[in-house]
Amino acid sequence: MRRDDGPIESAGRGGGDVILPNYRPNPATTTRFLFFTGKGGVGKTSLSCATALVLAEAGRRVLLVSTDPASNLDEVLETKLSNHPTPIAGVAGLAVMNIDPVAAAAAYRERVIGPLRGALPEAALRSMAEQLSGSCTVEIAAFDEFSGLIGDPATTKEFDHVIFDTAPTGHTLRLMSLAKSWDQFLATNTSGTSCLGPLAGLEKQRAIYEATVATLADSAATTLVLVSRPQVAALREAQRTADELRALGVRNQCLIINGTFGTTCPADVTAQAMAQRGAAAVGAVSDFVASMPSYVVPLRPINILGLAGLRVLLEGPAESVDVVTGKESWVAPHLESLGALVATLAAQGPGVIMTMGKGGVGKTTVAAVVAVMLARQGHAVHLSTTDRAAHLVQTLDGKVDGLTLGRIDPVVETAAYRAEVMQAQSTALSEAGRAMLAEDLRSPCTEEIAVFRAFAREVGQGKDRFVVLDTAPTGHTLLLLDASASYQRELERQARTTQPEEVLRLLSRLSDPAYTRVLLVTLPEATPVHEAAALQQDLRRAHIEPMAWIINQSLLGSGTCDPLLQRREEAEHRYVSEVVEKHAARTAWLPWQPEPPVGPEALARLGATPLPVLSTQP
Amino acid sequence: MKSTLRVFDPPLCCSTGVCGTTIDPDLVNFGAMLKALGARGVKVERFNLAQQPRAFAEDPAVKSWLAQEGPGVLPIIYVDGELWLKGRYPSSGECAAMMARLNPPEGVVAT
Repeated sequence: MRRDDGPIESAGRGGGDVILPNYRPNPATTTRFLFFTGKGGVGKTSLSCATALVLAEAGRRVLLVSTDPASNLDEVLETKLSNHPTPIAGVAGLAVMNIDPVAAAAAYRERVIGPLRGALPEAALRSMAEQLSGSCTVEIAAFDEFSGLIGDPATTKEFDHVIFDTAPTGHTLRLMSLAKSWDQFLATNTSGTSCLGPLAGLEKQRAIYEATVATLADSAATTLVLVSRPQVAALREAQRTADELRALGVRNQCLIINGTFGTTCPADVTAQAMAQRGAAAVGAVSDFVASMPSYVVPLRPINILGLAGLRVLLEGPAESVDVVTGKESWVAPHLESLGALVATLAAQGPGVIMTMGKGGVGKTTVAAVVAVMLARQGHAVHLSTTDRAAHLVQTLDGKVDGLTLGRIDPVVETAAYRAEVMQAQSTALSEAGRAMLAEDLRSPCTEEIAVFRAFAREVGQGKDRFVVLDTAPTGHTLLLLDASASYQRELERQARTTQPEEVLRLLSRLSDPAYTRVLLVTLPEATPVHEAAALQQDLRRAHIEPMAWIINQSLLGSGTCDPLLQRREEAEHRYVSEVVEKHAARTAWLPWQPEPPVGPEALARLGATPLPVLSTQP
Repeated sequence: MKSTLRVFDPPLCCSTGVCGTTIDPDLVNFGAMLKALGARGVKVERFNLAQQPRAFAEDPAVKSWLAQEGPGVLPIIYVDGELWLKGRYPSSGECAAMMARLNPPEGVVAT
């Protein structure tokens, strides 16, 4: 279709008059490898799928790879995927695969243990399986698959392009820096039997890892596509990612700002605020935007599902789709205000409150709102975040009586853990032993352990106060909980334990509903709701029952007169109903906000928002 | 004559156990001793149940101990074909004594 001029383009016309072209991949200039990265929920999956679709329809042979442990590619493509390339019906030349690190580790475990059934006693096999369930195996198995596709040309030779829909930023950074750190680790580790552990024979593939690192740094072969939203925090996050990956040698980068919006409705306060905030956000980072090729993808009225939805994402809706349906009657289900939920939390007393959900749904905001509301009611509250983008929490420092702040920074935690281990062992070890331990502590597994211990420590703060935790995005959360389960098994197996008491008690605390209350946060859209439902299932397997769901960023009752926003509000109905009727024991509701609220006043105001008056007839 | 050490480790993520929940200083020092011995020409063969399980199935004595006593029987350490230790790693004193007995050239001592 032709360029979207007029209202759409005005979205990119911010404080600095930033006008950006619409994103549309050009088969002639697209590199062989593409990596989509960005904060959770910015639309990496949709945009990488749409890019793959455009390239395939231009006659290219394309492999799309997801490395997200909580992948929703299945849902977007309406095809059941596996860890082998699966052709997509209706698109010649497009194949898709999903690398689930947990599944990759399970497959590896079976490759090791399967052939030994009968050859070794059952107890030995069980003990092996236990060891191969740890975080090291998951990390290494995922890295191994990831690396095979990039570093070994034979595996992807039948494709012109390999597109990675990577996991949220933190994970992406780890995955990418892993290629480097393992490589350096292999080059400098001389003890032979090292932490390269579970993948016996990993060293044999060294050539592949070297090729992986070289390919990532090769601007002719690899493009890093930074995906962001027209919001200041999201754009700053993209900028940090760009800087970090550039430092790791990944220099060929471009930026897509997804969901830009301009309104034709001057009287609509919500629509005007949305358009103005978006434009201002882009203008505020105009230097960053100008530092690389940058594009926009306008906000679309419908949820991006299926091939038809993907075409709409980059090309805009055909006129026939562009119709307000709005005639069906909708009976709003029973919702609560967040204030009502906080009143229950306060009545239940101290313990842990965790906000969970897909990345980008507003877990940090909800955690901060709950923490501020509880503190203002006179309770002792400790708010802790595992998110790298913790600026929201920093703005509360010293501003609310009774509220203390904590943070789980993987880099800081890892350094502290290394120092602690070396210190604790220094007297018992010979000099050679210390050198060997220091070498093993350089392994990437150390970070998993350090972060896990920090998480346990923060959970342990809840004995006499409220601990509010914003956990990492879904996939990482699952790994964290899984790690906690396997650590518990490990601790039971070992006679001597020197772990802090917090670690030992973690799992029992997490599954005690009187101690730990889980709030599942979602947006009123298909993918976040379905991912939250899947997360709820996983939590139930770990004997954790979420207390309530929170529908965040809802346009219900906004009274918008913007046609695009009206269609989006109407599209919320079925997902709000689904949450209340199918998934949630209790459902609280929060309105759409142009930017995450910053500071105690804005947070308290958001939490005190009354429920909208919803008519049951449109 | 060149000596040989054969070590059958319990399932370990890594040779120092640092990836697990506890660190056994005897294990770390033992690893350092093996490294020193290896550098001095002693043949060191180390098998980890989580990494090289086939070696456990192929050694009749190890396989039989595992069947009778379970994984707690590990580590099993042989020196020149003779059982040295079973169920634990050597203390730093035992390491030093073994270093002296195998008598590698130049005073490499792991104490």
